[in-house]
Amino acid sequence: MDLRICVPRGALFEESVEALSAAGLPIEPLVNLGRKLIVECPGGPTYITTRPSDVPVYVESGAADLGIVGLDVLLERQPDVYELLDLGFGGCRMVWATQAGEDPAHAAIERFGVVRVATKYVNVAEAWFEETGRKAEIVKVNGSVELAPLVDLADGIVDLVATGTTLRENGLVEREQIFASSARLIANRASHKLESEAVDELVRRFAERAR
Amino acid sequence: MTDVHQRIPVPDGMRDVLPVEAGELSALERALSTVFASYGYRPVQTPLLELSDVLDRAQDEGVGRAYRLFDDQGRVLVLRPDLTIPIARLIATRMADEPGPLRVSYNARAVQPPSAGTGQGAERRQAGIELCGPGGPEDDAEVIAALSSALAAAGLPGARVAIGSVALVDAVLRAVNAGPEATDALWRALRGRSMVAWRSEARAVKGVKGRLRTLLDALPTLRGGVEVLDRIAAAAPAAAAECARLARTVDLVTAQGMPAPMIDLGVMRDWSYYSGIVIEAYAPGVSAPVAVGGRYDGLGARFGRARAAVGVAVTLELLHHAVGGPEGLEPAGVVVVGGLDDRVTAAAMLRATGVPVVAVPAKQRDVEAFAVADGRRFVARPVKAGWRVVDVIDGTTTTVASLEEGPWT
Repeated sequence: MDLRICVPRGALFEESVEALSAAGLPIEPLVNLGRKLIVECPGGPTYITTRPSDVPVYVESGAADLGIVGLDVLLERQPDVYELLDLGFGGCRMVWATQAGEDPAHAAIERFGVVRVATKYVNVAEAWFEETGRKAEIVKVNGSVELAPLVDLADGIVDLVATGTTLRENGLVEREQIFASSARLIANRASHKLESEAVDELVRRFAERAR
Repeated sequence: MTDVHQRIPVPDGMRDVLPVEAGELSALERALSTVFASYGYRPVQTPLLELSDVLDRAQDEGVGRAYRLFDDQGRVLVLRPDLTIPIARLIATRMADEPGPLRVSYNARAVQPPSAGTGQGAERRQAGIELCGPGGPEDDAEVIAALSSALAAAGLPGARVAIGSVALVDAVLRAVNAGPEATDALWRALRGRSMVAWRSEARAVKGVKGRLRTLLDALPTLRGGVEVLDRIAAAAPAAAAECARLARTVDLVTAQGMPAPMIDLGVMRDWSYYSGIVIEAYAPGVSAPVAVGGRYDGLGARFGRARAAVGVAVTLELLHHAVGGPEGLEPAGVVVVGGLDDRVTAAAMLRATGVPVVAVPAKQRDVEAFAVADGRRFVARPVKAGWRVVDVIDGTTTTVASLEEGPWT
């Protein structure tokens, strides 16, 4: 099997490697990755490691046949790929959070007709406020999103939380859950058909493990 | 030289095509058209711009993302984002009185604004066919066979063709009787290519048991040979007719000597006008299907004349990625020194014999370098004994009495 599998570095990495191993794939080179970005397993797949948010790009373009990626990234990037499996790990929630006490968002809507939202997830945030009938002004930030409401850059944040510790430490409370996220197995559209036997076999093994 | 500091951009997603690529693209286009013509498809052309409200009739949700502009009377025009809809309009209006079956082909560009950050182009060159016949599996099979043989002629003999069916999925969902909301959610999952969303929506459907339950949960992941269809028909007798139809299609394709298409119920198109079979073809090394199509029996009626129709279109850029240039596009032609001034007659006579002749002035410098850059094989210079001919590929030199005697072929 010479599939190219895109594995996210960062939070999902350890569990991704575990899942690949449990599905019977050789993972030795991944464990001893060091600074290498791409490793080939003799007689097995080639692993490409990227930033989590880049996984859909590699898979959609066909640079990788398969990829492991959080639902949060999928919903934000909306790539044209097959979403094959919920791998069951990497559980977290996409939430709308504002400062503790009276929710400043109500006042913002009432007085200014718009709520200011700081987020890395511009598309997710836009869609959520549109679906819930509110007008949002999105401020795109790239990190430390929790800071934004504290310095009045925004009324609240849309962000991914696992335990909620960071929110609490910054005096923020979760107001709405937008969706629950977990790691997904995705496939390039052409690879999914051209390598159908290998892909289906791998999906079967992943699914067995998840069960 | 252009001043590199001066920016001269073209719009996002648009690009120029230089001679080598243009030559290869037209060779591919010719290869496809020749095969389509051999099945009796006749070329038609539709306008670049259409009236927005006319094209928007194609689907309840309109044609979606497209470049739009106003004409001088304030009407909204749309740059065709797809060829199937304009062709359906043409057939329903201009060819309404023809009894059929109708077979038309097209070579045209569809234009759609690119999604930011994907590196995808806005323009797609599409070579396609459309068959308006009785509407049976025989028509579907002809289109698949024509597609396979056209791809083979273009240098892609092993293209994998996968077929799904909107009608089959619809029959299963009717048998399941999940109610309109759940049914919509399932369709959305399928069009969004999310097996995960499908499974979660399917599991939420109550009151489905036994084999039908197993079938419902797994439907878009079912694929393989015709045996898949037997399993579906056994689990959902209401879908048996559609299964038999697909099986018959596969039989008819293989009977024409073409490889059997793979049955894959996860194959689905983004356009909602599809009503029956859905076709995709894939090539190694290309990230998206090189050809897509299917049956859309309801589309004609939206333009005033109902007619069963099935079609498929090859995206030339993707095919080009898969096969590169077709055979026979090596450097060709002769650069005739003096052909533009002192020796125009000789150059014209050679050209009349069918040899490509590039004429340059008698005083042209660096002719060999020019010939290589221009993709030409030979340079011919007048000498006392006639013409001295240099083959710029292998460096050999010959002398001939007249240009007609040259080693051109």
